[in-house]
Amino acid sequence: MKGSTPVARRLAVCGLATVCGVLVPGRAEAHLVTTGLGPVYDGISHVLMSPDDLVPILAMSLLAGLNGVRASRMTLFSLTLAWLAAGAAGFFFGHTVLPLAVTSASFLIVGGLTAADRRLAPAVVTGLAVAVGLLHGWMNGAAIAETGRSALGLVGIAATVFVCVSLVSALVTVPRAAWWRIAVRVAGSWVAAIGLLMIGWAVRGR
Amino acid sequence: MMHRRVVVGLLSILALLLVAGATVRAHELRPGFLELRETAPGVYRLLWKSPAGGESPIHVVPILPRDCRLITGGQQQLTPGAPVVRGTLECPGSIQGRTIEIDGLASTTVDVLVRVHHAGGRLESHVLKPIDPQVTLGAATTGWQRALGYLRLGIEHILLGVDHLLFVLGLLLIVGGRWMLFKTISSFTVAHSITLAIATLGYASAPLLPLNAAIALSILFLGPEIVRKRQGGTSLTIAQPWLVAFAFGLLHGFGFASGLTTMGLPQAEIPMALLLFNVGVEIGQVGFVGLILALERSFRTLEIRWPRFAEALPAYVVGSLGAYWTIQRTVVLLGALR
Repeated sequence: MKGSTPVARRLAVCGLATVCGVLVPGRAEAHLVTTGLGPVYDGISHVLMSPDDLVPILAMSLLAGLNGVRASRMTLFSLTLAWLAAGAAGFFFGHTVLPLAVTSASFLIVGGLTAADRRLAPAVVTGLAVAVGLLHGWMNGAAIAETGRSALGLVGIAATVFVCVSLVSALVTVPRAAWWRIAVRVAGSWVAAIGLLMIGWAVRGR
Repeated sequence: MMHRRVVVGLLSILALLLVAGATVRAHELRPGFLELRETAPGVYRLLWKSPAGGESPIHVVPILPRDCRLITGGQQQLTPGAPVVRGTLECPGSIQGRTIEIDGLASTTVDVLVRVHHAGGRLESHVLKPIDPQVTLGAATTGWQRALGYLRLGIEHILLGVDHLLFVLGLLLIVGGRWMLFKTISSFTVAHSITLAIATLGYASAPLLPLNAAIALSILFLGPEIVRKRQGGTSLTIAQPWLVAFAFGLLHGFGFASGLTTMGLPQAEIPMALLLFNVGVEIGQVGFVGLILALERSFRTLEIRWPRFAEALPAYVVGSLGAYWTIQRTVVLLGALR
């Protein structure tokens, strides 16, 4: 870690903690929402009411927004498509066993990068977006299949991902006062902190 | 304008997916109504209005408490909009603490309003939803709770009324400029509020099947107009969209009213129900329009450049869905007339 900045060092620690956390085995739990308004609205509500999906979407949008218009644009489509594709795959191949703390990885990495406010290449941001989309999409799809619900829920989920990312990343992209960028970074640090807490709970629950 | 079209196009594609999936039917929400009115200790006059109308039948049945029995058989009669069953129910002791369930509700997207008038004037009211199709009676409901129920009913009605939303989308595609947008959406609101009130207060009614076909026709009508606008043409709709919004808004208001009139509201509660249901509809509509405009702005900020075909899609999706629903509902209408 010689020559590295404190932020980079903290990120490395966070990354190590994440690796430890995701090694904790356990089943991915499905917390699907039922609105009574049909599968599409169930999908929409699921994203809006499930912090384990909503927080990474918002964090990814904040990170993309901090990295400019092009990164935001690429994130918008890559995250949505990856989420939808992985959701469909998860639905058809169903039943997945994922480490309990797997969602905390996206919290920690994306939140940490947002807090660090490091300038990343659009390709890197897009790669992260794809990873987050694949991970959470797969879990959503598998959960929908396991609970015997309609795959149309994925349409609602993907639509909500698309809308959230476009609104939030556009909001961050627009140049504003200096405090605005700081506020976004603070939000990122909170996301990372939540990720750390989740890892702690996962490790404690062994 | 171009971005707005694209936004609407994407949402239209979503609507198309929904229709293709055949799980979202326009006007799915036609709530049922179960009323029990205590006429003597343990004796209740029963009224059951089954949810009905629209494109597909909804089979739900109330399951009454086990030790209650109908002492006069259920007299079934067909009324416009919903089959109605009346009868007299006898429950040893009291109905308080007993459970009422609506069988089959879980597999639908309709609500059922359950209302119990206890002796002594106490009233309890519950909205049973597919997610929770049963209720244990006992707690009196406040006016606030009932008011919130109607408000929620209005919001749900517009959110499930994909045809209404698509019509609003079509208007957004045609309208240019903020002032015209405000005028158009406002005139649509005023128009549907007028007919919603007229229908709910019982001054006029529109038969459900022809009405649904006409609403679909209003969406189909917008399709070619959007294309004409894209090609730089003009027409009354393009020049004065608020006029068309008002005219068709009158039709859509009767459609909104179906969400209330099929419930057989108590006379005293109609003004409150009407007001709050309409407010709910407006909340849903304004939220939807606001979301579209926010997305349009976001797309502009993110400098998204869409391929040419994507710009043409919205008009054709609106027109195609309008045509699909028009044919589908006309077939249902003709089938009912035979």
